Amino acid sequence: MRLLKDQQRVAKEHFDTTIFLEGIAGTGKTTAAIERVKQLIRSGVATDSILVLVPQAALAIPYREALRRSRVATGGDIHTATIGSLAYQMVDLFFPLIADDIGFENPLDRPHFLSLELVQYYMTRFVEPEIEAHDYFNSVTISRSRLYTQIVDNLNKAALVRFDPQTIAERLKSAWRGDVEQGYIYDDAQISANLFREMCVRNNMLDFSLQVTLFVEFLWKLEQPRRYLMQQYKHLIVDNIEEDTPATHDILRDWLPHCESALLIYDSESGYRRFLGADPVDAYQLKKLCQTHIKLTKHRVMSSDIQAFQSEMARSLNQPAPKSPKNSDAREAIVYADNRYHPQMIDWAAENIASLVHSEGVNPAEIVVLAPYLPDALRFALQTRLNEHSVPNRSHRPSRALREEPAARTLLTLAKIAHPQWNIPASKYDIAYALTASIAQFDLVRARLLVDIVYRNRQLHPFEQISNEKVQERITFDLGNRYEQLRQWVDAYIQDEPLPLDAFFSKLFGEILSQPSFGFHDRYEAANTAANLIDSARRFRQTVNKIEPHLDTSPEYVAMVDKGVIANLYIRDWQLEKRDSVLIAPAYTFLLSNQPVEYQFWLNVGSSGWAQRVNQPLTHPYVLSRQWTEGRRWEDADEVAVNQETLANLALGLIRRCRKKVYLGFSEFGEQGYEQRGTLLMAVHSMLRRLRREEEHV
Amino acid sequence: MNLPEDFVFSPSSLQDYVDCPRRFQLKYLQRQRWPAAEVDEMLEFEKRMEQGQRFHQLVHQHLLGIPADTLTKHISDESVRQWFETYLKNGLTDMPKTRFPERTLTIPLGKYALLAKFDVVAIGDKAIIIDWKTSRKIPRREWLAKKLQTIVYRYVLAKGGSHLNKGQTIEPEQIEMRYWYAEHDGATLSFTYDKEQFATHEANLLHLVDEIDSRPDFPLTEDMPRCRFCTYRSLCDRGTQAGSLVDWDTMDTDDVDLADFEIDIDQIAEIEF
Repeated sequence: MRLLKDQQRVAKEHFDTTIFLEGIAGTGKTTAAIERVKQLIRSGVATDSILVLVPQAALAIPYREALRRSRVATGGDIHTATIGSLAYQMVDLFFPLIADDIGFENPLDRPHFLSLELVQYYMTRFVEPEIEAHDYFNSVTISRSRLYTQIVDNLNKAALVRFDPQTIAERLKSAWRGDVEQGYIYDDAQISANLFREMCVRNNMLDFSLQVTLFVEFLWKLEQPRRYLMQQYKHLIVDNIEEDTPATHDILRDWLPHCESALLIYDSESGYRRFLGADPVDAYQLKKLCQTHIKLTKHRVMSSDIQAFQSEMARSLNQPAPKSPKNSDAREAIVYADNRYHPQMIDWAAENIASLVHSEGVNPAEIVVLAPYLPDALRFALQTRLNEHSVPNRSHRPSRALREEPAARTLLTLAKIAHPQWNIPASKYDIAYALTASIAQFDLVRARLLVDIVYRNRQLHPFEQISNEKVQERITFDLGNRYEQLRQWVDAYIQDEPLPLDAFFSKLFGEILSQPSFGFHDRYEAANTAANLIDSARRFRQTVNKIEPHLDTSPEYVAMVDKGVIANLYIRDWQLEKRDSVLIAPAYTFLLSNQPVEYQFWLNVGSSGWAQRVNQPLTHPYVLSRQWTEGRRWEDADEVAVNQETLANLALGLIRRCRKKVYLGFSEFGEQGYEQRGTLLMAVHSMLRRLRREEEHV
Repeated sequence: MNLPEDFVFSPSSLQDYVDCPRRFQLKYLQRQRWPAAEVDEMLEFEKRMEQGQRFHQLVHQHLLGIPADTLTKHISDESVRQWFETYLKNGLTDMPKTRFPERTLTIPLGKYALLAKFDVVAIGDKAIIIDWKTSRKIPRREWLAKKLQTIVYRYVLAKGGSHLNKGQTIEPEQIEMRYWYAEHDGATLSFTYDKEQFATHEANLLHLVDEIDSRPDFPLTEDMPRCRFCTYRSLCDRGTQAGSLVDWDTMDTDDVDLADFEIDIDQIAEIEF
């Protein structure tokens, strides 16, 4: 793409200056920044002295890909980081320098970095008994997993906004003006956070909040680690600073005067990660620390009709409306469908997508299907319809439980059978299911027939013990033979010393399941799931065994997966997704990936979810932010204003990431059968009425 | 063309191709994971990898200026402690004072890129690349000389190391690749370099890349015993059991590529919050 004049300025402005670049989404800020990186390299700057800092890892992908494609002769790979990855690297490297000063009980031991699943595990293991013993959170009706996430969220916010974690409840209560019960919930959240933190300090465990705290409050204040970072990275490119947190902004405040050049990129009218601690107001204050200010105003993504639609939607959402381009027509940029029932809306979406792909030759990667939430039922229904229309598709959700994957369920069931000493029973259905996945061409009916006969006393018995020959024939001797191979393998394993779970999985996978005529042999996706499960189990064992060397981690892990405590997102999957396919995602996930497309389908436009912030009874993103004035109370008017701002930012942010057309899918009754009358729908209706009036007037 | 336009070669990926084209295809082109065991004694194997990683980290920390006695206090593994003491004794012998630990260089290679991640590069009159080894056995010199790591590291430094040398090209004759064996009291195997080797290596590497990019298929290796230590063995119908660690120890083998086992730090951070 040819750069416009202001973009060229960004790319070529003196390489010894600090630039603050702002503009709304789609004005080509990242494109200009990538060009600047190329120019820096061409001018002789070492690639590994450039750091691209972003609020989440996926936002750095365009930089890496563009540079690799560009054929610019680089002396190294470009370094990209988030505040989290920087904190991890720095703590991992420089921990010995602060070990004696941070109050850990065992300063000579190495720290243990906790993934989310390990945080959930330790919450369940050590904090949950306290919660149950004292009846904490007795009036809160959300799942345990979400409860723990919010307790940890409060600690994360304390680290990222940089306030004392002991003051979480005090801050939340001071802003609360409702019933007294909520005050108790905040107190319980404080006690639970304290318990978790004490456990971490006792065992050298570092969750995300402690990693950030050690980096920002300790290491960054020491000469050696600070010099290491500043000498290594002399040129900073910081993208989406409005989505980053005060901790990152404070580091930048110190760093900017010492770097040779910097480019800070601010996406106006964003701040989508506010519930994760993002602070656009704090980010904007960095502008005054920069020597050069550039604002990009020309849209590089939206067609003129889409720009007109943006303008009309802004009016309907009571936002300042940019002028529409000449000869543009908002109606040309939208397709609106009014359905009575939810399945009709899904059919409508699938048919239109199929038509775009098959009749108009649109690349499926240029289409996204978005909804405020993406429950399994909606995801499944959409994928089924798209598959029926032969449209390649992929879905992305922020997290996925491993136990939901058939390959993982199979491995876990076989682990239970192979370890009777755990005393964790497997149901006959699970075993039949595992056999169908383990043995090629084994269907569920025959597997169930076999299991009903051979699974007794939690043991698999030999095929030949089936006395009824007709039943043997019905199952077939071929399948019986392979069942026997699997059974004998398990039997031999039981006679031996048990292996750690991940090693057991690897051995079972390699020696049986992935062998010819077994279920995982040619199933590459099943192998990937198995690999993810093995990684997860291995990391669990490695960390937990260092903290509690005598604990048998295998049954512990299986029990936690069964309880749904352990679920993980694997970035590897995200990167390996089928690129040339329609993406089905929650609206925010798409927004935060920052990749514009030609066509967007918004489903459930009647849902109130478009305008509501996530229900978080234990925390509050605005009250725990740096912008909150001490002593203020959170009023209903604040909630209304925030909801309006949330909707406007979301809707306009999506439109700015669309090149050609937005399909608005509405069903009068939602998935649950309730009538849909959310704020987005009201805004769309008001816009459509206005456009119709104007048309009639013309 | 078989390769995506942004493909980046590394010594390990090239070595995998030379060892078994099919392995290269599965691992780097299809990016197919296949989580079978590499050796029978998985836990012992894992322990060695962890020890190797820990030792590399200690040396990195030391080269960043953390005092040796501060680091030593934090070592709990006896083997690692001994390796670190050996390193303190002779690991940096005659190394130039300007040292770049854990440095990655990427250079263009034909239409693609070639990456080398150095444990340490020390630049002065000489440019010494050090690779810390914690393997039980020192392999034969002639085997090591043919290894892609020995070839690629020197080539990449000569071709793209100027910014480590104040913008001055590093001449091949200045370069030495040194393998340092912690388990063997810091014994070393060194490989010098010259313009002739540089030219030969360049031609060979370009030829290799061209061959990978244009070949119609990726056959299995004919060196069947190698498959015992390859996780894809079941996919290729090349056996059931993983090879034994005892056999592994007696072969000319190298440390396991630690990059394969590094934790994805972005993953941790992103999931965490």
